[in-house]
Amino acid sequence: MNVRPIRVDDLPGMQACNLQNLPENYTMRYYLYHAMTWPSLSYVAEDHKGRIVGYILAKMCVDISEGEEPHGHVTSISVLRSYRRLGLAKKLMIQSQQAMCAIYNASYVSLHVRKSNRAALGLYRDTLGFTVKDIEKKYYADGEDAYAMHLSLK
Amino acid sequence: MSKPLAIPPKRALASKEATLFKDLLNHYETKQLKKGLKTADQILKKYPEHGETLCMKGLVLAHMGRREEGIDLVKKGVRFDLTSHICWHVFGLIQKGEKNYEEALKSYTQALRFDRENLNILRDAAQLQTQLRIFDGLVETRSTLLRLRPNVRQHWVGLAVAHHLNGNLTEARKILENYQRTLKNVPDYDIEHSETLLYYVHLLEEIGDLSEALSVLDANSKSRAIVDRTAIMEIRARLLTRQKSEEAEHAWRSLLEHNPDCYDYYRGYLSNIGVELDHSNPEALRVLKEFSASIPKATAPRRLALTISSGDTFKALAEPYLLTGLDKGIPSLFADIKSLYKDKEKQQAVEDIVEASLTPKDPSSSADVEPTTYLWTLYFLAQHHASLSRPDKALSLLETALSHTPTLPELHLCKARVLKRAGDYYGAARCVNDARLLDGQDRFLNTKCGKYLLRAGMSEEASTVFGLFTKKDAPSPGADLEDMQSLLYLLEEANSHRQYGKPNLALKKYMAIKKVFDEVDDDQYDFHGYNLRKFTINIYMRLLKWEDTLRSHPTYVTAAVEASKIFVAVHDDPSLVTSLSPTNLTDAEKKAKKKAKKAAQKVQDDKKASPAASEDKGLEATPQKDDDPDGLKLLASPDGLEQAAKLLHPLSTFCANNIDVWIAIYDVAVRRKKLLQALTALNHARSLDPEHPELHIRAVHLKKTASLLPQPPPAPIGPIFLETIPKIIPDDVSLETFNSQYLQRHSTCSRAILAAAKVLLNLGAPREEVEQTIFTSLRDEVTLDIPSALATLHFLESLKAPRAEDFRAACDAKFVSSTIFKTAEEQRALRQLVMKGSVDASSSPDEVVP
Repeated sequence: MNVRPIRVDDLPGMQACNLQNLPENYTMRYYLYHAMTWPSLSYVAEDHKGRIVGYILAKMCVDISEGEEPHGHVTSISVLRSYRRLGLAKKLMIQSQQAMCAIYNASYVSLHVRKSNRAALGLYRDTLGFTVKDIEKKYYADGEDAYAMHLSLK
Repeated sequence: MSKPLAIPPKRALASKEATLFKDLLNHYETKQLKKGLKTADQILKKYPEHGETLCMKGLVLAHMGRREEGIDLVKKGVRFDLTSHICWHVFGLIQKGEKNYEEALKSYTQALRFDRENLNILRDAAQLQTQLRIFDGLVETRSTLLRLRPNVRQHWVGLAVAHHLNGNLTEARKILENYQRTLKNVPDYDIEHSETLLYYVHLLEEIGDLSEALSVLDANSKSRAIVDRTAIMEIRARLLTRQKSEEAEHAWRSLLEHNPDCYDYYRGYLSNIGVELDHSNPEALRVLKEFSASIPKATAPRRLALTISSGDTFKALAEPYLLTGLDKGIPSLFADIKSLYKDKEKQQAVEDIVEASLTPKDPSSSADVEPTTYLWTLYFLAQHHASLSRPDKALSLLETALSHTPTLPELHLCKARVLKRAGDYYGAARCVNDARLLDGQDRFLNTKCGKYLLRAGMSEEASTVFGLFTKKDAPSPGADLEDMQSLLYLLEEANSHRQYGKPNLALKKYMAIKKVFDEVDDDQYDFHGYNLRKFTINIYMRLLKWEDTLRSHPTYVTAAVEASKIFVAVHDDPSLVTSLSPTNLTDAEKKAKKKAKKAAQKVQDDKKASPAASEDKGLEATPQKDDDPDGLKLLASPDGLEQAAKLLHPLSTFCANNIDVWIAIYDVAVRRKKLLQALTALNHARSLDPEHPELHIRAVHLKKTASLLPQPPPAPIGPIFLETIPKIIPDDVSLETFNSQYLQRHSTCSRAILAAAKVLLNLGAPREEVEQTIFTSLRDEVTLDIPSALATLHFLESLKAPRAEDFRAACDAKFVSSTIFKTAEEQRALRQLVMKGSVDASSSPDEVVP
């Protein structure tokens, strides 16, 4: 699969991939906001026909307090079930992290995961090296808690 | 010139009220709406015809959710004071909130006549001009802004962008260069400066000054003024290649090392050394092998090598590629290599390799193959045979695999796909539901299940399944998916209703798709200002280009074409609306309708209950209550054809090669009496495929329409119209002959037979003759597939033809695996099995879910 930085015309494919795969969804406006603010942080994986089969939608945290180091945040990452076991999530994550460091001098990257989502937790912890930093109570709209996870980039 | 105009007496306020008016503006700015309202009323008590106060009060009311009342006041205010910039500004804000950009810009232009240097109005006007793509006006507005405030950095970049959009690249460059001269002490790692420089480099490249572009890029990446490393490397490689520099090869290699999974970089590397990726080439192969060796983790070069190799080399490369994939249990392996099947030799080689891997290693005879590898190999082979139209072979492989491991969802999905292609929509839905039940937490399986249910016409069941993942507080699962702009859902739901005889509901969903695209079109508005503030110009320029071609998206195209077909059908036969009206509903439909109404009511109530009256609701028009849940009002729209024309309008430029689009444009235009447009559309269609069955129907329709005109249409269109028709159907050929000649030419094509039968009907032939023609499509030498058989059956049913039942039975016998030609009774029974899960499905005892 082809792993590359996003283009604007990838956004509908990313949105479709997200809706098909994950319970947390966003309107196009939110994808546009990411692309227009941090154009180099998000990546896609596409198949031979140019269909988006995986993506990482990433940003920098904007509300950091005085003296705090800049850090990145993964808004959403997913790979279609039929394209798993190719290591795509890791490849997408690495590209995005490199960009966070090079462009924005990020010291770490954070993300949220549903407490009940064991598969994703396994991916972030075991494959991508994230650690659980905190539990955010009732983070999700339906009242579920989230693990706040971190990965140092230094 | 900009001498301040004297205050007209009607606008003047006594000093107490003048102070109150300032307060009012203040209250509005700080969003203290209740206070603002009170203040406005105080002024109006003494000056009931004070235009500016009336407008401000209207604006405040609109923000408070009392939209219509507010808008009325604003209009009244403008009438009382036509020379106030405040009145026009407020009016413009309201129109902008309604997304009426043209009218809003007119109001802003008025406002600027009376206050030429108002920065807020100028900035808003610039955004409107960009939204409307009025680039010469944009240059003027941005020039004014820069002249007024040259110390604001974004004003420089804004003007450069305006020139760029207006096609004046040299001027854009000049502005950017002047801008850079004004900069002092740019801090390190300044992302805004970095982005601006990248835009500058891009502009130089577009102008064609490659060496300058390269030297700017190199100097600024060395000094770390440009910080985006990937962008630097990509632009560098591209510039060096265009300059035919020897350094280009190294630049591409650096990119490959940076991201060895990006196909563009391989393509770039190879095309730089004069090698294309799409045909056999030993040099390219050597390079790819070298990359495979030096970057062992990268899969791209190994896969690309399969595309460009052939014969024994291909076999030698394919074997390890396939066997490793099967070993690792990569589900996408088949999807990954399927595109190689264009080459029959490769297709055979793949089959040989994979089958050979299985033969000596049946796990029952020896223990040297992993059971999972065995399973994934069966899965691969099933997909292989299915793609080559060998469904029986595929199904038997899947049965073996499922009896080995009944718990792998992929096997059930694969079986579903095979059944679906064979026309067994109920069996397919049942298999996907089995897959879903194996992993209830996986939304991918859930989505697939919903989609297959819709294909089987089971929209209620689909809704229940979708609802397991949609927001619980949404009025319905479908409403959440619509809010989240799920094009997949909307299209499948619409197609399902269309297929299963609910054009009203289908139309509603097609129009919901249109709405999603309207929203995305509107979404860009805020970015016209936002990106300038962020200095992310390169991506912004691409956003504008993308938005310009937004409606070329295949989902929009389908929705526009299908919706226009429905509008045309109801125009031709308005009784369609009554036949779908509630009195003709079944009990189940009535129940569903009641449920939908209740849900809609609940949302309304929630909305009423929640926000406090003083809360700011913004200026965007809030969505109206859905008073047409079954889409019947929409279906009966008196302006249906106009709506259809609007839907199709963007497609004539985007879809010049899509014959369905031109046919749809013809159908709508000819009914709107736009004869020249109809003729042009038909000629376009003719240039694409002169023998297309749908075109044949329109050719006859056109000629008949012309012959029925009470008088020749007026010049200049009329004569052109009448002169062109004989080029399509010669005057000395009767329509009957024209039709029978067409049928003779295409007597083995079922779509052509159907078209000829429709024409016969249109020409008033007896029903028996029409039926007789239709039945020739059942002859052995005619290629009849399921979709055209179904279209033919629907046509017979629409005629209320007695022989429709015979045709159905014949199709049922012809398409053995298909369920779509079963009787209604039989289909009802099959439908009931779908959601039961295979445990209960005694008809297939070989499937056991543990």
